[in-house]
Amino acid sequence: MVEPAERTSALQGCLADLLLDQDGHSLFGADPAAFGAARQLHMEDQAALAHYKSRLLTYRSLVRSALEDPLPDCFPFTHALLEKAGQWAACVDAFLGSRSIQSSYYRDVNPAFVAWLAQSGWGQDRWPFLLQLAHYEYIEVEILRWPDEAPQVDLGALPKADLYVVFDGTVRNLAYAYAVQDASGGNPEPDAGETYLLAYRDGAGDFQASTLSPHASAFLARCLEGERVGEAARALGLPLEDGLELLWSLHAKGAVLGFR
Amino acid sequence: MTPSGTPSGTPFSGVGVGLRRPHLAQVAALKASPVPFWEIAPENVVGQGGTRHRQVMQILERDPVLTHGLSMSMGGFDAWERDVLDNLRGFLKATQSPWHSEHLCWSSFGGANTHELLPMPFTREAVQHSILRTRQLQAELPVPFLFENVSYYAELGAAEMSEKQFLAEVLEGADCGWLLDINNVYVNSRNHSFDAKEWLEGMPLHRVQQLHIAGHAWFEEDQLVIDTHGAPVIDPVIELMQWVLPRIGRAVPVLLERDNDIPALEELLAERAALQKAYDVALDPLSVSGPGSGGSSRG
Repeated sequence: MVEPAERTSALQGCLADLLLDQDGHSLFGADPAAFGAARQLHMEDQAALAHYKSRLLTYRSLVRSALEDPLPDCFPFTHALLEKAGQWAACVDAFLGSRSIQSSYYRDVNPAFVAWLAQSGWGQDRWPFLLQLAHYEYIEVEILRWPDEAPQVDLGALPKADLYVVFDGTVRNLAYAYAVQDASGGNPEPDAGETYLLAYRDGAGDFQASTLSPHASAFLARCLEGERVGEAARALGLPLEDGLELLWSLHAKGAVLGFR
Repeated sequence: MTPSGTPSGTPFSGVGVGLRRPHLAQVAALKASPVPFWEIAPENVVGQGGTRHRQVMQILERDPVLTHGLSMSMGGFDAWERDVLDNLRGFLKATQSPWHSEHLCWSSFGGANTHELLPMPFTREAVQHSILRTRQLQAELPVPFLFENVSYYAELGAAEMSEKQFLAEVLEGADCGWLLDINNVYVNSRNHSFDAKEWLEGMPLHRVQQLHIAGHAWFEEDQLVIDTHGAPVIDPVIELMQWVLPRIGRAVPVLLERDNDIPALEELLAERAALQKAYDVALDPLSVSGPGSGGSSRG
């Protein structure tokens, strides 16, 4: 437990407000001393804020610059969309202002961004697909980095009705209301339409996403939940042969490790 | 004399390079390490998988590595993240890094992480707080802890002492090692108008276990030198490294950092080789570039 160091804590809290709050720039820029006074800083510390006004504002720019790499790298189409609309900076500002970045792992900025979009609804009145687009973009990064698993033993290579399916740990059975997989830098606005995807990392370590029918997606969901192949097909009225063929194909691609 | 718990003799010396993502495939494919050692941020490796991760692990199994943390917020107030510490401990044991370093700064407040290296107030209270936090962190780690001096662009609050006095008091009070970032000293000397060599002269150089060296950039709009790690190291910084090495009196390892505008591996290795020459000259007792000469191996 750290002993109270009230002055140090107050100074750090004040700078955090300047860096993160959406109105931090305007409030601090207008009157740094008053900004400090509102946060109960000592008089001499208020004066120091005023003395270093422009340089402290530089830190605000640096915090935003630190997001320029991870966010557009992970969310290239979301970034392209918002940048084109002149809203990227506002989005980053609102994200920072929410104080949603809590982990000290830099990589956790990306899932925090998706979680913030989901929680805040930011931008989704204008771009109702925004959260789903960002989610799909993040899934690719998550899958590519997903921890490797120890090799499974005693798995069969042939799907059968009475066997369980052992999926690769990177497999994500996804459902969207937009064709997010068709988005691109030139056309980042996906068309509306129910979309079912099975995303995974293949044997070569590359990201793959297979488009599924609604039935196939439901069948795989049941298999992922631990139902036997035959039970899953029967529950959905799906011909067993179709299910076996799908699983065989996914096994060949590396999404399914085998059958037990 | 070395700080308590700090190894006095390790196989690490010469000029190493920070291992970065764009070079992983190329470096992993080499038969032998092209550098004396790499430096890596554990938080970018632990809990990961996939192709790049496998490349990193291949390199770490083959080559010597030092570890350097980026976002522990050691001068902050937020509770240590237990899973982060557990992962770090495991990584340090696995890689056998002789020490682990972090920045003497803060990054998070009230649970919100800025992922920026933010300045400590230069006050007696902050000295005591930093000592306490450094000791806490050291107690969590299986290897000696070094802290790194950061670039700071503004003083946070009214200073009761200089940055130099602040760092020296924390180093002594925490009894820990020092990762001396020579570029940060240079950047601070430019931004706060002091003489870098005078600054270094009174510092406890016996605590230095490692150096960082990097490039920086001048930002006209802000009228500031920013520690960008996005350009080659400039001659005055190399000269400062050469000036301080003999005064440290040991062949401590120097790490070349490059985080932005990362060049091709060959270009980075060429810069490393030039720095290695400068390093060797500085530590050669017969060299004309020894203490006091102010010589540089570059133009």
